[in-house]
Amino acid sequence: MDSLRRALALTTAGGIGLLTLSGTVAAQSTSRDLIMGLNRNLMILAVPIGIFMTALLLYAVLKFRNREEPKPTGESKALEISWTVATAAILLFVGLSAYGVMAEPAVTAPKTVEEVEGDPVEVDITGQTFRWIFQYPEHDVTTPDTMVVPVNETIFMRVHSRDRIHAVHVPKLALKSDAIPGQVNTLQTTIHEEGNYTLYCAEYCGRGHSKMYAEVQVVSQAEYEEWLADKQAEGE
Amino acid sequence: MVGLTQTVVTAGMGIALIGISYWLFKVRKEKRVAADGGVQDVVDEEGYSHHEKPSGIVRWLTTVDHKDIGLMYGAYAFFAFAFAGISVLIMRTELLTPEATIISLDSYNALMTTHGTTMLIVFGTPVLAAFANYFLPLLLGADDMAFPRVNAIAFWLLPAGALLIWAGFFLPVIEPSRTAWTMYTPLATQSSNAGVDLFLLGQHLIGVSGIMSAINFITTVFTEREVSWGELDIFSWTILTQAGQIAFAFPILGAALIMLVMDRNFATTFFAVDGGSPILWQHLFWFFGHPEVYILILPPMGIISLVIPRFSGRKLFGFKFVVYSTLAIGVLSFGVWAHHMFTTGIDPRIRASFMAVTLAIAVPSAVKAFNWITTLWNGRLRLLTPMLFALGFLFNFIVGGITGVFLGAIPVDIYVHDTYYIVGHFHYMLMGGMVFAVFAGFYYWFPLFTGRWYDEVTGKIHFWLVFVGTQITFVAMLIMGWGGMPRRYATYLPRFFDMHVLATVGAFIIAAGMGVGLVNIVLSWMYGERIREGDPWDLERDGLKTPDWDWFDENRVEPLTDGGSETNPIDSNTEGEQ
Repeated sequence: MDSLRRALALTTAGGIGLLTLSGTVAAQSTSRDLIMGLNRNLMILAVPIGIFMTALLLYAVLKFRNREEPKPTGESKALEISWTVATAAILLFVGLSAYGVMAEPAVTAPKTVEEVEGDPVEVDITGQTFRWIFQYPEHDVTTPDTMVVPVNETIFMRVHSRDRIHAVHVPKLALKSDAIPGQVNTLQTTIHEEGNYTLYCAEYCGRGHSKMYAEVQVVSQAEYEEWLADKQAEGE
Repeated sequence: MVGLTQTVVTAGMGIALIGISYWLFKVRKEKRVAADGGVQDVVDEEGYSHHEKPSGIVRWLTTVDHKDIGLMYGAYAFFAFAFAGISVLIMRTELLTPEATIISLDSYNALMTTHGTTMLIVFGTPVLAAFANYFLPLLLGADDMAFPRVNAIAFWLLPAGALLIWAGFFLPVIEPSRTAWTMYTPLATQSSNAGVDLFLLGQHLIGVSGIMSAINFITTVFTEREVSWGELDIFSWTILTQAGQIAFAFPILGAALIMLVMDRNFATTFFAVDGGSPILWQHLFWFFGHPEVYILILPPMGIISLVIPRFSGRKLFGFKFVVYSTLAIGVLSFGVWAHHMFTTGIDPRIRASFMAVTLAIAVPSAVKAFNWITTLWNGRLRLLTPMLFALGFLFNFIVGGITGVFLGAIPVDIYVHDTYYIVGHFHYMLMGGMVFAVFAGFYYWFPLFTGRWYDEVTGKIHFWLVFVGTQITFVAMLIMGWGGMPRRYATYLPRFFDMHVLATVGAFIIAAGMGVGLVNIVLSWMYGERIREGDPWDLERDGLKTPDWDWFDENRVEPLTDGGSETNPIDSNTEGEQ
């Protein structure tokens, strides 16, 4: 029993030790940066715990298989309390670090654009069976299937739905928000890497659900302005 | 036209149901049945009673014997499991190619819907009731359930409910429901397909059945118990807790389903965008739906807590703490439902509190895992089929538990919500957890309810195929989900091709394992070696024999009048079939 408790304490200590070594992760957007950073911290705890538990299980199975006599089961309140407290401590850590990340606007966006610092690019994303429509209210531009946004700028998105529940899901940028009719949800992020990212519909919405894609094109500020001008010209 | 068809079908169903109930009523009248264990008990002058059951099909239609009902629950659950299993094999075959080639998008969505609903509601809850019906009275030392007739009614609602849920696949004018098992509004209110209404009503029937059997289990534990609370075994504790959860969760499902039926047919606006709230459905559904997943895992935990000590040769470590953690899970399971809704835009403060409860519920779950592993420690492990499934459960539970903690952290949940990561995680718990425990219990009690041995080597092949298949399938799902692959996709982008193929290969390995298991079960049931001793698992040696095996010893094993020679022609298992 003592060896078990020691191993438990060691793993906990080791996990927390490793944690301090972890730095930030460079990713495609601030949202992904934050979420992957948190995930990495959790992995540093979870992987050793998973290996420890599995090793314990395997060791027990291999060592005690077909033994002659089992030892009677004792009772150990200390052991029960120590693993309860250890688990609770680990989960408290998970909760606190998740809470810290959740409070960031790139993970939980403010409800209105007025609360966003600086001068963000505003996009209204509307899901309708089975397409995505993007509107730029500041520039009076509406375009389906492709969202063009500038790199290294704060982007503020309002997510709407015209008929049933859809969900904006851009895994490479770690953006996800349900699109619910009669309700406006918001997303905020800054993208660091130019390129094309797939936007999926993540909430099951019927026959065309698995074909409800759009593309997020992240371009330089100049290209973005050029694109906007083109679109405005088309509109007139 | 649709309205007319719908009316005709509804009326036809109604007439059929009235006809069936009239017939049943007649049959029951002919055979007067006492509510004390089911059959006419003939009491002789010494006060010893013996059972006389009607023969043939009438026996099964009229029985109120908890063991018969348990077997019928089992047979019914087997068909439901096969139905949902075959539907997922068709889906996985379809997913071998990125485009829809074998079946249409609609067919895929219908199969996806029926797979979820069947596994969770048509199969999951009832298969656990099969164990509870058969073994709860035996473990408690009771004659039968507290309400044997309610028990029979609860069972007979199930096939009716299942047929309604699957009606769209069989009836010519109706299409199967394609709402997904979560039935999110407004999608579920927008389809005019009458199959959806039947689907909803079928679930309602099964919900009513669940509530009835839950009340029965609770009453049985409280009033029919021949053992003290202190002696109550771990499986009965988990059934009691689960029945309590069902009693609180299923009425919510029933009410929500009726509200949805009314929204669809009578122009009410509970879940409408104007005048109601689509999100209200999600709250109601998950207020049922999250306790439901614990409803599905608690009795399996009870089975594991029963099997592991019996194949380790030592008592369950920290029995009291395992019971406390069961009760804690029972209560906390009602406080986590909104963690399915972290991306719906609900207030961050509400989200944070649900995150706290979600992480808190991991504590009692981890406590159980530690207690199980410590039970193994210093034991004498017998790695027979029931124990292999129990150890497989333990491993899958660790993987499912750790991936679950990641989902408890809201930012990570936002990233993987509605992707295959979620699918992989909960299949580790339900397939890798619940189904493994069901097989552990099934093989453990196989000698008791059949009077015969299963084949050990085939049992091990069954385990290893299912275990390996489970790892391949659900690890592939975790990986592609982390890569962003959304769930409920009939078609997908070529970049996910490899992982989808891997998942399909794994699914077919599981299916092969289940096939081997089925052959083993059928052949062993028919031709397996007869049990000659009252304690086939040799539990007495370590003082771990439970009352169910005492009952077996007294009632099912014939006295060894001739010294137990192998050629004894008398069937040792005829008592229940006379």
